[in-house]
Amino acid sequence: MSDNGDFEPKIVQFCCNWCSYTGADLAGSCRLQYPTNTRVVRVMCTGMIHPNMVIDALTKGADGVLICGCHIGDCHYIDGNERMKSRAATIEMLLEDFGIEPERFRLEWVSASEAQRFVEVVNNFVKDIKELGPNPFA
Amino acid sequence: MPVKIAEEWLTTCGGCEITLLDVGEPLLEILPELEFVHMPVLMDHKYSGQAGENPGTLVIPEADIGFISGGIRHEENRHVAEEMRKKVNTLVAVGACANFGGIPALANMYTVEDIIKMAYDETETTDAHPVPDDDLPKLEERVSAVSEVVKVDVALPGCPTTPELYVQAITALLKGEALVLPERSVCDDCPMKREKKAVTEIKRPLEKPDWPADKPIEEVRCLMEQGYLCLGPVTHSACGGEEKIPRCIKAHMPCRGCFGLIREGANPQIDMMTALSSIGLNPRQIEDRRAMFNRFVGAQGRLRPLPQRR
Ligand code: SF4
Ligand code: SF4
Ligand code: SF4
Ligand code: FES
Repeated sequence: MSDNGDFEPKIVQFCCNWCSYTGADLAGSCRLQYPTNTRVVRVMCTGMIHPNMVIDALTKGADGVLICGCHIGDCHYIDGNERMKSRAATIEMLLEDFGIEPERFRLEWVSASEAQRFVEVVNNFVKDIKELGPNPFA
Repeated sequence: MPVKIAEEWLTTCGGCEITLLDVGEPLLEILPELEFVHMPVLMDHKYSGQAGENPGTLVIPEADIGFISGGIRHEENRHVAEEMRKKVNTLVAVGACANFGGIPALANMYTVEDIIKMAYDETETTDAHPVPDDDLPKLEERVSAVSEVVKVDVALPGCPTTPELYVQAITALLKGEALVLPERSVCDDCPMKREKKAVTEIKRPLEKPDWPADKPIEEVRCLMEQGYLCLGPVTHSACGGEEKIPRCIKAHMPCRGCFGLIREGANPQIDMMTALSSIGLNPRQIEDRRAMFNRFVGAQGRLRPLPQRR
């Protein structure tokens, strides 16, 4: 544990329209509580998230990037999440090359009905980024 | 009245000046309209005070067009660039170094402290030596492109830039226009055959590509598809001259990215690594990735010392 005191991380969260964004919506309708550190960006599918978007966020002020999409096999564009998954390996390499801790990036699958899981995923990521501390990449 | 030209070289190898001389006959045609009023590499202009001492002794005459090659490595470079900006109407940045930092900006991966230690102390073949500092301009923390220090009006990228671009730029300026290069990639102008089949392994450029001597270039398979790292997809095209065949491709070598970014704000490393993974290649096979993808474009914050992990 580190002493990151009142550090409130800024997290950019990409959610695909069909599963994770709907999951987030359901979490809201169920009045589930979760931290306000994430800024959700809705995308049609995780398959459209270019590594540029992740690196840009992490080099321009975000402390973490969380990508949420449909479970493998459930993508509404058939294999967009598979593409995202293979791209994640490239993103991890890029983070190494940019000198950003790989823990600042995470990919999770959350379905439209998994409101509880959505909340857990956000909670865990916020907690881990708080422990990691502010992004040293200025 | 001839148009006055001033030329300066900052942290540079002189290749971009040689390219101006390489213009050859077309230069003779435009020469009567030009008057070179300042060009240290040719005219033996010497002045003191480059490091800012004895203010007033650095004299660059006024000119209509100013060419600068080389990036900014130390305070003398900065001073000269600022002085040029004050004295010329149109400032042209020539070469990869002036526009993107070029080869010298590979040093941006290290701190100045580390570079000095390496050069004067730690290299196997060097006897530790005190660092000279009398009357030498101070090194800046990183190599900058000219446009990071003063406003640049026209960019002629490339390492070196080409004689054709010099002529195009000067001819345009004589007409009162600024040359703007169209937004195209080296691949857009490359005639090699693309078969769009997956490749799995990245080869070293030392291996010979499959290029039968009797086949026209249009029938030879794209070098990237043959497994050679070619930065054509992420590099600005303008090196092909009149034939429009990219300079290195014509010499059976993959593009190494010397014309720099296709558009402002692009990041060749991100785009290239994404493109490689999408055709099934693992960029981990590439040695020294950061240097490889940023070989000519390390300024403007693209290369920097990696922060220490806590
Ligand atoms: S761009 Fe290339 S040729 Fe021109 S000064 Fe720089 S290193 Fe030399
Ligand atoms: S990758 Fe290289 S060889 Fe292939 S088309 Fe582009 S420039 Fe030509
Ligand atoms: S092919 Fe690429 S590396 Fe070669 S001259 Fe053209 S831009 Fe530069
Ligand atoms: S639509 Fe949800 S990941 Fe593709």
